[in-house]
Amino acid sequence: MEPILELQDVKKSYGDFAAVSGVSMAVPPGSIFGLLGPNGAGKTTSIRMIMDIIAPDQGAIRFFGHPRTDKDLARIGYLPEERGLYRKMTVTDQLLFLAEIRGLPRREALPEIERWLERFELASWGKKKIEELSKGMQQKVQLIGTVLHKPDILILDEPFSGLDPLNQETFRDFLVESKRQGKSVLFSTHGMELAEKMCDHICLISHGRAVLTGELAQIKRRLSGNSYRLVAEGDLAKLNQVPGVEQVITQDRGAKLLLTPEADGADVLRQIVQFANVREFRSEEPELEEIFIKAVRDAA
Amino acid sequence: MRLDRVAVVAKREYLQRVKGKGFWIATLVLPLFLVAVTVVPSLLLSKSSTRQRVVVVDSTGEVAKELQTVLAAPPREDQREKGRSHPTASFEPTVEAMGPNPAAQREDLDRRVRTGAIDAWIWVDAKGLATNNVEYHAKNVANFVTQEILRDDLSTAVGRVRLRQAGFNQPEKIGELTQPIHLDTVRIAKEGSRAEGGMAGFAFAYGLFMMLYMTIAIWGQQVMTGVLEEKGSRIVEVLVSTVRPFDLLLGKLTGICLLGLTQIAIWFATLIALSAPGVAAAIVSLPEGVHLPTVTPLLAISFATYFILGFFVYATFYAAIGAAFNNLQEAQQVAALVVFFLIVPLFLMFRIVNDPDSTLAVVASLIPPFTPLLMTLRIALQPPPFWQIGLSYVLTLSFILGMVWISARIYRTGILMYGKKPTLQEIWRWVLYA
Repeated sequence: MEPILELQDVKKSYGDFAAVSGVSMAVPPGSIFGLLGPNGAGKTTSIRMIMDIIAPDQGAIRFFGHPRTDKDLARIGYLPEERGLYRKMTVTDQLLFLAEIRGLPRREALPEIERWLERFELASWGKKKIEELSKGMQQKVQLIGTVLHKPDILILDEPFSGLDPLNQETFRDFLVESKRQGKSVLFSTHGMELAEKMCDHICLISHGRAVLTGELAQIKRRLSGNSYRLVAEGDLAKLNQVPGVEQVITQDRGAKLLLTPEADGADVLRQIVQFANVREFRSEEPELEEIFIKAVRDAA
Repeated sequence: MRLDRVAVVAKREYLQRVKGKGFWIATLVLPLFLVAVTVVPSLLLSKSSTRQRVVVVDSTGEVAKELQTVLAAPPREDQREKGRSHPTASFEPTVEAMGPNPAAQREDLDRRVRTGAIDAWIWVDAKGLATNNVEYHAKNVANFVTQEILRDDLSTAVGRVRLRQAGFNQPEKIGELTQPIHLDTVRIAKEGSRAEGGMAGFAFAYGLFMMLYMTIAIWGQQVMTGVLEEKGSRIVEVLVSTVRPFDLLLGKLTGICLLGLTQIAIWFATLIALSAPGVAAAIVSLPEGVHLPTVTPLLAISFATYFILGFFVYATFYAAIGAAFNNLQEAQQVAALVVFFLIVPLFLMFRIVNDPDSTLAVVASLIPPFTPLLMTLRIALQPPPFWQIGLSYVLTLSFILGMVWISARIYRTGILMYGKKPTLQEIWRWVLYA
């Protein structure tokens, strides 16, 4: 399937400082894509290049299979890292402006705005000026402004920072729902727990370089070396003879099994239950956090 | 350029501002302020009428007598022309002969002023008259209107005395005989000759200058602060990822220009409503031979279009400045320079009035920042060839689009530059490499 958004060897330097030195990635349709990395890794610079706010020195960025055109703007929703709204405008006027500027006509935008304000519990704030709202509320207004025109891809720079846990959940639900509707989401974060729960694909950036890119499950499998933790009772000496098992490390109440790369965990389990009483058999996949730390260290 | 986006931006600028208090305060307060500084003082001056008790000490014996006659007579025509049909000061002269001891007499006069017995004293002697000087002593010597009347009347009195001494027997006829001459100016236009006020063209250009100046002073600043605000609030990142900076700035300028026009429309409507009866009466009662300046359709259209172009020309300067700097303080230092472009044509106006077809006039009126004022002036004075008018439109429009383009490039880079005040070289680099 053609990616919704594709970056090919994108580079950007400021003088001698290489902010982004060669990032390639592809956001498939209907996926949640996490752009991960420590502070100052080049996430925001990458997103700004994607959004054509700064021009890359080198490389290609393609939306929907072609370089971005004005027509594509209506299909993209963008939430910058540094939020900003017109302070003196009312919530409704502000949202109407953001919708109209992306080509959504007024009569379509107004009911949409009402629906969204309802959903984010801001219904009674429509006529209030932005400056009268709390920071969290402003953030919600900005999120609504990003999605009002029903874009096919959402590009969100640190969307969860500044939201309380309740609103984080509301917003997370919305992103998952968007994905189910076949839309794509790209968001940046340095919060690994959240990314682990939500992302199908990731690109890990460190010092301006993409150090890990791809489907999260695959990456984990690759990095785990296909190892499993087994808790079982029975004749565990037979474990060595199970096809696909490369190595057995005996542990308390069971063992750690290292499988051959092509072996399937489920097949191995079927073999084991024939001679042992299995209480627990789980993949020893590393947490995203561990992958992150290791990758960043390796890259340094 | 996406006109729909430009329109959305312009609409926001216009509606947000027209709904705000600032617009209405500026619209209502400025005329009130102008009335306050122009009409009120002259109103106060014309209402105040002082009567001064003056002692005239005259060694010649003749001047004082003549002065009494002059002061008693109704104001002369030339005095009325200066707006003094009702004299604002009148005098109650008492003539005293010069005593043997002038020093003691002067001291005594001073004392009488101090005690309030008299308001002032005038000292006329042959020595002073030889150098055309007469002394005036009073507690208050800053009452220039009173002094001017007294000086006029003294000049008349002294003049009459001198004429009589020179053998002219009818000194009271002197006013009549030395009336100033008025120049009746007649413009020779293609349609035929027609008498009109010689300064009409100048008045038009000057009117445009004042309108542009006020609009620019108010709304040019608004363009700049608007751009700065957007950068400050960071909404700019959403905007430039959605709208091209060129469209964004053009929309902003259009919205604010419409706002300026709205304001002027309100002013004109109010002015017409308030002054229509008076103006009609004035036109009806114009003396024979005096015509109001001709307003040809060309002049009317030029006035309106050059006003709009002028607004855009100057507003683009402000847009560029707003785009380049981070805060109002930095921007304002540079913004003061914009007025320079408005003042230069004002100086050139005086030269061009004398010779509207000179090379200087043609060249200067084709330089875009000067075109709105100078071309209007030339059209009012003596319509230039159409190719020059056409060329001026082409040049000015290109200039505006070029300036918006440059501003957009600066804006593009400037939005992501924080903290540091950029140098001119840096700004130029932004334009080249944005």
